[in-house]
Amino acid sequence: MNTPLSLNRIAGRRISWGKIASYTILVLFAIIYLGPLLMLVNTSLKTTPSFMKDPLAFASEFQVQNFVDAWNKANFPKYLVNSLLYTVAGTVVFIMTAVFVAFPVARNYVKYSGWILTLFVVALFLPPALIPQFQLIRGLGLYNTQFGYIMLFVVNPIGIVILVNYIKTVPKELDEAAALDGCGYFQFVLRIVLPLIQPAVATVIVLHAIGIWNEIIMPTIYLTNKEFYPITRGLIVFTGVYGSNWPLLAAAVLILTFPMLVLFLFLQRYIVAGLTAGSVKG
Amino acid sequence: MTYHFGRGWSRSIPYLLLLPGVLFYLIIALGPSVATMVYSFTNATLPGAPVRWIGVENYKEFLFMGQASVDNIAVLGRTLIFCFFVTTIQFAVGLFVAVIINQKLAGRNIFRTLYFMPVILGAVIQGLIWSLFLYPVTGPLAKLLGLFGIQALFLGGQPNEAFAWVIVVQIWANMGTTMIIFLSGLQTIGVEMYEAATIDGANPWQVFTNVTWPLLTPSVNTNLTLNIIGSLQAWQLFLVLLGYKPGTQVLGYLIYATGFGTSGGVSASFRQGYAAAASIVLFLLVLVIGMAVQNILRRREARIMG
Repeated sequence: MNTPLSLNRIAGRRISWGKIASYTILVLFAIIYLGPLLMLVNTSLKTTPSFMKDPLAFASEFQVQNFVDAWNKANFPKYLVNSLLYTVAGTVVFIMTAVFVAFPVARNYVKYSGWILTLFVVALFLPPALIPQFQLIRGLGLYNTQFGYIMLFVVNPIGIVILVNYIKTVPKELDEAAALDGCGYFQFVLRIVLPLIQPAVATVIVLHAIGIWNEIIMPTIYLTNKEFYPITRGLIVFTGVYGSNWPLLAAAVLILTFPMLVLFLFLQRYIVAGLTAGSVKG
Repeated sequence: MTYHFGRGWSRSIPYLLLLPGVLFYLIIALGPSVATMVYSFTNATLPGAPVRWIGVENYKEFLFMGQASVDNIAVLGRTLIFCFFVTTIQFAVGLFVAVIINQKLAGRNIFRTLYFMPVILGAVIQGLIWSLFLYPVTGPLAKLLGLFGIQALFLGGQPNEAFAWVIVVQIWANMGTTMIIFLSGLQTIGVEMYEAATIDGANPWQVFTNVTWPLLTPSVNTNLTLNIIGSLQAWQLFLVLLGYKPGTQVLGYLIYATGFGTSGGVSASFRQGYAAAASIVLFLLVLVIGMAVQNILRRREARIMG
């Protein structure tokens, strides 16, 4: 930057060195965040010999074949269907039961509402449930079944707390008015409360679903049948088999990364809302 | 609060509808969580196998018996080191980036989104992206550093080197969350606070230490608590990046490995009682550190807020 004078004239105002420093830092971090991802893209477009020769060189072959091979060899369709099943089933069962826990607790419509809420908050501070949970699922004969696996994901104490806090902002007069109009409890929660608390519900759904989709420890413990693997476990198995074929592996990882990144752009505000909702309450 | 939706039997409807959610929670989460304590005093293996009450034997063995306990203590130490570096670096970097992004800069939302992006990818994809990037000798970063004459084996190197890289990936993956929480805190600080400080002639550093930092106390507390508890319990990236590599395990991974083996599948050698005892050790570690930090933070808050 040896020409601040002329630049000043062009911009019509003083150059802010603070801004230049800020952008420099932001770009540096952007490189740290994008670099590994772009390397992955570059690798996925190469052939194995050219990757071995020089992994840094830009891909000149544009080998789309890697993506085709990865898709065919990795059994992705099967795994994706499994992941989708677990995510949708676990999330739907959770949110349907959660709304009917959170609403009466927030409204004090059931006895010991305060205690029930404490019960859910306390989970955040208790020991991990890993071992007894395994004993339970195996004891019930649900080990290595899709049903048993889904049952692991129908609870989420933080989600309940977020819902309760949000429902408290919905005016209580609404309940009375609806009841006077002859609306029943079930109808009221489903038809009137649910739409009103939609932002919180969306946030909880998004956080819960992402958690199930990305889960890797639970499938490692509970699912040994390959037919039942979710995509995370499938991807790990794939890396075990094709561990040294990096272009193929990179293509496989990218096939699963891109949809998530696109989804992220749409879901970002819900994730942010969920994180900051938890933090405001401390 | 008055209930408006009927009397008599229909008063029981909210209870009936509440029941499934509470039962699921008690059976699947809370019950097992409490039962961990009970299992830690037994020699349980797989369900069906005979179980005996053995008192504090598991704890004794974990902490005091033979080479295994020496290794366990090393694992505890490593867990604390992991927690310390992840928390401090992620906290500092997250705060630094949040303060920069909080300025009126064109394109700041793009940067924010970019740094926050890894949270949706999950440990498997985060780990695989970095496994490739850090592939030893012929991998991209190895070649890049090679240009400067630096040789590194990354994840395939000495335990300490591999361990350090897991810390890097952990911070890369979660810094965005810390940043977002700081940003939401920064946005609650009114512009007039900054204007008043600037009129008083404060330089940017003074504005930060006298205005931003004290007013950011709630986000500071949240981030420290979340990061400390989170990093004490985190081990998914170890699983994806390293596997059960000797000299790199943290406590969470040790619990998993003793309870379920390292290779998947079911085997009678699973020492679930012992793993439960290790779970309780981790729980106590989180509890003691968590409460100490809470105590310090509360006193600090009382001092600042008056």
